[in-house]
Amino acid sequence: METSESYQVRLEVFEGPLDLLLFLIRKKKIDIHNIPIAVITREYVDYLEHKDKINLDREAEFLLMAALLIYIKSQMLLPREEPLEGEGDPRRFLVNQLVEYQKIKAASTILKEKEEEQSSFWRREVLPPLADSDEVDIIEVSLFDLAETFFTLMKRKEAENFRVIRGKNYSLENKMKEIIAALEEKSVLDFLEYFSQQETLEEAIVSFFSLLELIKARLVMAVQEQLFHSIKVWLRKGPLARKER
Amino acid sequence: MTTGLKDIIESLIFISLEPLSLEKIKEVLSDFPAAEIDQALPDLLQTYAAQERGIQIIQTAGGYVFSTRPEFDPWVRRLLKIDKKSRLSTPALETLSVIAYHQPITLSEISALRNVDSSYTLKTLLQKKLIKIVGRKNSPGKPLIYRTTERFLTYFGLNSLDDLPTEEEISKILGEEKNLEQK
Repeated sequence: METSESYQVRLEVFEGPLDLLLFLIRKKKIDIHNIPIAVITREYVDYLEHKDKINLDREAEFLLMAALLIYIKSQMLLPREEPLEGEGDPRRFLVNQLVEYQKIKAASTILKEKEEEQSSFWRREVLPPLADSDEVDIIEVSLFDLAETFFTLMKRKEAENFRVIRGKNYSLENKMKEIIAALEEKSVLDFLEYFSQQETLEEAIVSFFSLLELIKARLVMAVQEQLFHSIKVWLRKGPLARKER
Repeated sequence: MTTGLKDIIESLIFISLEPLSLEKIKEVLSDFPAAEIDQALPDLLQTYAAQERGIQIIQTAGGYVFSTRPEFDPWVRRLLKIDKKSRLSTPALETLSVIAYHQPITLSEISALRNVDSSYTLKTLLQKKLIKIVGRKNSPGKPLIYRTTERFLTYFGLNSLDDLPTEEEISKILGEEKNLEQK
């Protein structure tokens, strides 16, 4: 940070308008509960004008805060019969936000230290595979996990350069029947494996929707034996379905 | 008897990838009286704490797990060929703190607290499995609700959410910052 020229600080240094406001408040040694809005607004706008690099995405958020500051000032200028204090103070909302944000920042500093501390504790990440048994700790996966796995797969497929064969129609209904049939035969399907067998992108997508439909209809369930392991699809009427509470 | 039990518990913790909770130990060792397990576990921890070993048992995310001792970090890293460890970015840490203290929480609530659009950061945290979607809020637009995961606890070496920095620790930090500026 340069000190000679007023605010030659890059916008990226501040996480957001609240971060910048807090910085200015500390710099000016202002009491957070009694902010002289005119002073801080001038500082704030000054900063926005002097920054050397414009990040348009963030710009809007910073400008919104400038507008809020000016609005607060205008509210404070209006003549009132009773002095504005406590709840009625137009600065109230902003102050609450700043106080809360200050706490969050402090908490994240502590978390950062903990992260640093923890990084030198190493734990084993891989274990020899467990033998197949009914006792595996099964996690039923969320839609997010399924979708994420599916997208990973699609990306992989993309690299293989999918060739679309036209003139073949896939229907959800047929696909669902196909999945059920495959499950009845093998009792379990590996999610990734199953999709990599699909011939075309279209077929893969239809299969994915069919699978989602089946999960929704509670005919099958998608489980993960352990975090980060491949997702497996089971038929619900098997012994596992009964095991469910 | 307790000595044997201590060794059994040690083997269970050794073989667990995720932190092993006391409840789980009791569930597995249902043939032992719970009181004896309650006794044997601290004994085991004591043994490890007293001995100068390369590994130790740590309590994290509500369970027990083996880890290397921090002072051996340089050599472990050499073995694993990890030069520099990746760290979470400041926005990621900030967003995590918001979620940790205000959970369950929606994206717009997070963004409002930070005054910054947090959708990208949220996505990164989801991918890192530090947070998870737990459902939808029953309000207009049915926004998704987020919570921190067990992995979050382990990552920061917290035993439970109660271990998050307290109000006092936070005000201490804020106080320190003020002192620094006055100098």
